[in-house]
Amino acid sequence: MYALDPALRVNLLGLSLICHSVVCCRVSPLQKAQVTSLVRKGARKITLSIGDGANDVSMIQAAHVGIGISGQEGMQAVMASDFAIAQFRYLTDLLLVHGRWSYLRLCKVITYFFYKNLTFTLTQFWFTFQTGFSGQRFYDDWFQSLYNVIFTALPVIMVGLFDKDVSASLSKKYPQLYQEGIRNTFFKWKVIAVWGFFAFYQSIVFYYFTAAASQHGHGSSGKILGQWDVSTMAFTCVVVTVNLRLLMSCNSITRWHYFSVAGSIAAWFLFIFIYSAIMTSFDRQENVYFVIYVLMSTFFFYLTLILVPVIALFGDFLYLSLQRWLFPYDYQVVQEMHKDDPHEYSMIRLPERSHLSPEEARSYAISMLPRENSKHTGFAFDSPGYESFFASQQGVCVPHKPWDVARRASMKQQRQQPQRTGRS
Amino acid sequence: MNSGDAAGSSSGGSGDAGAPRRASRKPKYSKFTQQELPACKPILTPKWVISVFLLVGVIFVPIGVASLLASNKVVEIVDRYDDACVPSNVTNKLAYIQNSTISKTCRRTLKVPKDMKQPIFVYYQLNNFYQNHRRYVKSRNDQQLRDASKANETTLCDPEKTRDGMAIVPCGLIAWSTFNDTYTFQHNTNNLSIDKTDISWKSDRDHKFGSDVFPKNFQKGPLIGGKTLNESIPLSEQEDLIVWMRTAALPTFRKLYGRIYVDLKENDTITVTLDNNYNTYSFDGKKSLVLSTSTWLGGKNDFLGLAYLTVGGLCFFLAFAFTLLYLIKPRKLGDNNYLSWNRNSAGH
Repeated sequence: MYALDPALRVNLLGLSLICHSVVCCRVSPLQKAQVTSLVRKGARKITLSIGDGANDVSMIQAAHVGIGISGQEGMQAVMASDFAIAQFRYLTDLLLVHGRWSYLRLCKVITYFFYKNLTFTLTQFWFTFQTGFSGQRFYDDWFQSLYNVIFTALPVIMVGLFDKDVSASLSKKYPQLYQEGIRNTFFKWKVIAVWGFFAFYQSIVFYYFTAAASQHGHGSSGKILGQWDVSTMAFTCVVVTVNLRLLMSCNSITRWHYFSVAGSIAAWFLFIFIYSAIMTSFDRQENVYFVIYVLMSTFFFYLTLILVPVIALFGDFLYLSLQRWLFPYDYQVVQEMHKDDPHEYSMIRLPERSHLSPEEARSYAISMLPRENSKHTGFAFDSPGYESFFASQQGVCVPHKPWDVARRASMKQQRQQPQRTGRS
Repeated sequence: MNSGDAAGSSSGGSGDAGAPRRASRKPKYSKFTQQELPACKPILTPKWVISVFLLVGVIFVPIGVASLLASNKVVEIVDRYDDACVPSNVTNKLAYIQNSTISKTCRRTLKVPKDMKQPIFVYYQLNNFYQNHRRYVKSRNDQQLRDASKANETTLCDPEKTRDGMAIVPCGLIAWSTFNDTYTFQHNTNNLSIDKTDISWKSDRDHKFGSDVFPKNFQKGPLIGGKTLNESIPLSEQEDLIVWMRTAALPTFRKLYGRIYVDLKENDTITVTLDNNYNTYSFDGKKSLVLSTSTWLGGKNDFLGLAYLTVGGLCFFLAFAFTLLYLIKPRKLGDNNYLSWNRNSAGH
């Protein structure tokens, strides 16, 4: 306990932070927890601890992120942890692949959410200047209520689930990409300010361009559009633009993205077709009865629907092009470096089938499906064949140790029996 | 050994095909749950940027030209008359307007600048009139307008709800303030007839204003806000009222008054005899009379054409500028040196 004495603790921490890595051996569970808390509170960094036994439980709970390995030593570590993995080497995947993607997706979803609501609300804000500041709403009540629920909800969920900047194998090949999260590159004030600026710019486009284009008579019947007509037009432009903007900010677009974006825009049109075709006794104000049908019978509607989203997205497109060319993020450079790689899911390559019998071909194909080929025994820190992380990164394979070969050979003989007798 | 499989992926390779894979607790593989869906990974390369700008430019410029040509073909005469139609010796304009004994007839002369083909649309334009004010917009009762049995529904119609204990039909400030200037036209000493039918939306006439609802108790108070309605004509045929009740979006707006089905030639003189009844003097409003032709796009509105042309031109300019940028500051796609850990060899 001496080094963790209150008098010496600060020195220990200072020394440890200078080092690349520190090894504490023969420590008791309490000391493990104490070292973790020392770093957590003293250095104010995000700490992660990983362990597989009951003696690691307090350490797992003391850190910010606790990872338990389920294995030979039981489930206590797993039950106390935030994440549970099966083998120690899965930590690479957890951090470099899934942790990184999770950060990216979270940032994207949050900033997009603020952007779309800011755009929507600021458009109404500009209207107040021309109503004598009386507080008249620009949009119909139901438009406002359903905006976040139906018309713009699903696409952002798809992005939060599926967005990947680079593939899993590239994430592991370039572990320095993890620094983006450490440096908080995607959630800085600067990033949010840029989204905010474009929300502001787009809201100005939506309001003023729609209002200016809707002046005077339309179509060969010379009819004039009223307030609810202009606001329905503006709302249509907002929904279309906000959904297309999401597609522009995606790094990987699956067919679910297309479905959800097209579906949201179609849901808006379906809603407005139904809403403006019915008149119930519950309508309070002059509702939007028949508005969309009259609007869609003018050329003004189609011309504005093409013009306004394009102008609104124009600024974002310009910014994205300039940013990617002049100040690329690391993941963007990696994307470009590997843009011609074949996709991971098409990596299944069968050898020529001529010399394989049908059963052999079938078993070969099944064995090629993604699954684990592991020679591991279940002990957390036992990694046969992995002498060094950096060696395996470089592709240098270590020769198998003779006792390990023998052990595995003996395990293979027991393959037909359902129960393994454990380490032999 | 088997107890260690709780985390979901089995740790023991269970051999090849024939082995008991069904005994494994590994969840069924699906591309959706393993996030291996086929995806398109778009990258904004110079090729894409320039082609997008060129495409937008190529599409927008012709549309802009077409819209601007359509707008330029429209001939429009706008004549502001509220200041000229009050005699110059009147100092209190409000009292003048409110005095119902003085005749408010006024004659204006308009000159046709270019040939105008029929139908010619007659609009009245109001400036500084906030039809989009919150308390104005809510001051109506749609049920009363539709349904004769709901004649006593006057919620939200304050202050024009009831008069002498009886409900006003149609209630509310919007109906009370209906525009009531009238115009008659003479073209080279011939009287021009104005078609005042079908100036409102058909959906309004059919569904929003009932054909069995008649005005009642209307404009009977001490303050007359606008037009007095004929009590024997149902609301669905009172087209001026219907046009007025479609509240405008902005404080400067036009509303359709009628149509003229006569061709007018350049330099013709149109004499307008108008009744200057409507009070815009107490709030610095302006009244104008507008005669306008119409094209496939509508009335005179250069905005769409100009916007399309500007954006199209800007896109061409940007395509050119980006080409220059890519030539001046070239960057090989996927250049290793741009990775931050390679760039800042001295930094972190």
